[in-house]
Amino acid sequence: MSRDFTPKIIYFMCGWCGTGGSETASAYHLCYPENVLPFRVNCTGSLSSVHVLRAFIEGADGVIISGCHPGDCHYEDGNFRARRRVATVKSILDSLGLGEERIWFRYIAHGEGKRYVDTAAEFNDYIKKLGPNPLKERNDT
Amino acid sequence: MKGSILPFEKDLEKSILAFLKTGLDKECFEAVLIPHKIPSDDNYAYLLIKDKTLLQGASPLPPVIPVQGAKAVSALTRWGPSKKKILAVMHPCEIRATVELSKLRQASLDNLVFLSFDCPGVMPLSGYVKNPGEGDPAYQDARQKWESAKMRPVCQTCSEFGAPASDLHIGLLGAEEGNAFLFPASLEGKRIMDKLGLETSASSDGWEREVEKLKKAREEKRRGAHQSLQTRVEGPDKLLETFSSCINCHNCMRVCPVCYCRQCYFDSDAFKLPPENFLARAQKKGSLRLPADTLLFHLGRMSHMILSCVSCGTCEDACPMGIPVAQVFSLVAENAQRLFNYVPGRSKEEPLPAAVYREEELCEMEKPYLETYARTGERDASASENK
Repeated sequence: MSRDFTPKIIYFMCGWCGTGGSETASAYHLCYPENVLPFRVNCTGSLSSVHVLRAFIEGADGVIISGCHPGDCHYEDGNFRARRRVATVKSILDSLGLGEERIWFRYIAHGEGKRYVDTAAEFNDYIKKLGPNPLKERNDT
Repeated sequence: MKGSILPFEKDLEKSILAFLKTGLDKECFEAVLIPHKIPSDDNYAYLLIKDKTLLQGASPLPPVIPVQGAKAVSALTRWGPSKKKILAVMHPCEIRATVELSKLRQASLDNLVFLSFDCPGVMPLSGYVKNPGEGDPAYQDARQKWESAKMRPVCQTCSEFGAPASDLHIGLLGAEEGNAFLFPASLEGKRIMDKLGLETSASSDGWEREVEKLKKAREEKRRGAHQSLQTRVEGPDKLLETFSSCINCHNCMRVCPVCYCRQCYFDSDAFKLPPENFLARAQKKGSLRLPADTLLFHLGRMSHMILSCVSCGTCEDACPMGIPVAQVFSLVAENAQRLFNYVPGRSKEEPLPAAVYREEELCEMEKPYLETYARTGERDASASENK
């Protein structure tokens, strides 16, 4: 692992709690690593598995998905459905040895700006330790 | 379970056809959907037979799956349920795929009666078509021994060869020479057998024992096959090597019974991208293979249909490049379906895993928030703030 490896991280977050968390973080002037790219979706339940896979195959070193806490979903059950979808994607990547550990799922509430920033920083450090995603160097994906 | 003994007249196929003919005569069902040899004599196709004299050319036990039966049923009932009763003779995996399609509202099971049989597996389609004269004896041999390296790899490790969610089932395992075991697997099946005056008093214990035994052996074999496959495809390098001969024909998707979408996402405008996108990717990687997104197609297709994958092997039959698609999908499907304790086609009532959820499940999916980390994070955040 080279010392100056800056991972590219895609942070999918739902439009209600996840982005709410980032708003709270900004209100408190909390910082998170600049290489974490936020990507807002309406609800994690509406996040297609292909978007996660596309990010994962085409250059992201890691992907985090944040939705509302269980019971908090604006659409009642989007986060539960997302959890099943994330579990399926992780299971596919695990069966084929593509590094399912590079995908994280963590609930973040609107008021949890601190938790949002910590998650981004923690994941960033974690991926730095893991090194670059081998798929992103391949030209034949 | 109780059933009746179906004695052979000349061979098993003939006596199944005689049974179907009586069924049509006594109006237990109005039509039969059954594989039939095509005129060129080297393959089979599904026929919806109304005229019972045409039944004699049909093949209830074809040595190949030319078109997945679920596709035939879907073509028949996509518009709506049939008003007349239709009996479909299909392999267990085809019936299971049909059940999955009905859950996806692409087929209707109303007024549809399934007749299944203990499936010895089928042969690779392209190999059979090249030389049917050699394939037929090999298939007969597999039906005797229940173990043949000439059957398709996924068939050799299939443990769902017995009665699926069908109505009538023909048990071949553990039956005496010249006999088969016909039993009702649903109330509808029982009604048909009663109407035909077939006794359902013979015990199926012998059949069940044999099925259990073979199931165990097959499961064991599948574990071994998956392990050896994993050593060949696991990891980015090996996986990309496996799929490197893919010519992007998307045949695997087109023949897949569960891939029903009229417009596949991977053929859609979402994959029409400006040249700049490809140039940027080529810049980053040094070069880019075109058409791009081969791995994304296979993994994305997996993420869409893997929970309903019945491992019927039709995708592998259709692959012109001989990529072990079905084996890879079977490996992934087993792990993904175990996660939800779901067996596709096992029951008509069980909902699709993607359609339901439980509040208390998959808790290990969420990464626990570490308080110790929270403190470091605070320090980092305040440090960067002070800059």
